[in-house]
Amino acid sequence: MNEVRALIVDDSSVMRKIVERALRQAGLESLVVHEAGSGTEGLDLLRGQQVDLILSDINMPSMDGLEFLRQIRLQNLAQGTPVVMITTESSEEHVRQAIQAGARGYIRKPFTAEQVKERVLPLVSTKS
Amino acid sequence: MALTLRDSLHLVVEPENLDASVEEVFGLMLGERPRRLAAAEDDRTGQDLESVTAVVGFGGVLSGACVFRSSTAVAIRIAAQMTGMHFDDVDDTVQDAIGEVCNMLAGAWKGKVPDLAARCGLSVPAVISGRDYRLHVQSPEFQLAHAYRYQEGIFRVTIICDSFQ
Repeated sequence: MNEVRALIVDDSSVMRKIVERALRQAGLESLVVHEAGSGTEGLDLLRGQQVDLILSDINMPSMDGLEFLRQIRLQNLAQGTPVVMITTESSEEHVRQAIQAGARGYIRKPFTAEQVKERVLPLVSTKS
Repeated sequence: MALTLRDSLHLVVEPENLDASVEEVFGLMLGERPRRLAAAEDDRTGQDLESVTAVVGFGGVLSGACVFRSSTAVAIRIAAQMTGMHFDDVDDTVQDAIGEVCNMLAGAWKGKVPDLAARCGLSVPAVISGRDYRLHVQSPEFQLAHAYRYQEGIFRVTIICDSFQ
């Protein structure tokens, strides 16, 4: 698989590292990771960087993941880039809101590398 | 007639939901299955004073908090296992890891009850270091407080509900 540039948005630096590790375990060895600690930081990064994949938490201070997703679409950033939400929020309502806002996938924390592989790889393999 | 959370109260206060949440979070994120201590067993270990505490608030149909407490040594061990890093003390990364554990426990616990999962929000975690404090909630509606054996140490998880609809 070609190099994959991923943006991981989570207010927890530990969780960003765990998500990165899970992506590598899923088979994305040629992975370039950009990290953001909030939706606002994520938007700033997307104005200057092209990425192939975005993984975002929902519960974050200053700008939550759903608003981040809406702003990506509103500001025409990262057009066509798949976004996967990785969050502790697991209700059907949260999934519905995320999909409605433009998410292509949803992974609930806690998660396994296998779940990341199943839900993320199909999204990036179509780009390579 | 619309159901309130009181109609699901038997599910909300079910102690096994908390055990299942602990097993899920520790099993998937750390590859461990902490064992819940019996009350008598926990009394004998009452001297194991906590010094790292993480709190995640609940808001919406249920107001309260999920509280995770452990010794410094246990917090460091959990963070090391989560990250694959080595820690000598409770630094920002250890606090971050413990906050995330508490966040996942709170999310997993509320996810066990469909009415809670959709209508109860979580705050971002707050982490407190130090042992010279008491956790006090005026007349909670209910409280679940369990202690678990994790490797050579103990951690405690408490769900406190001060009101619900």
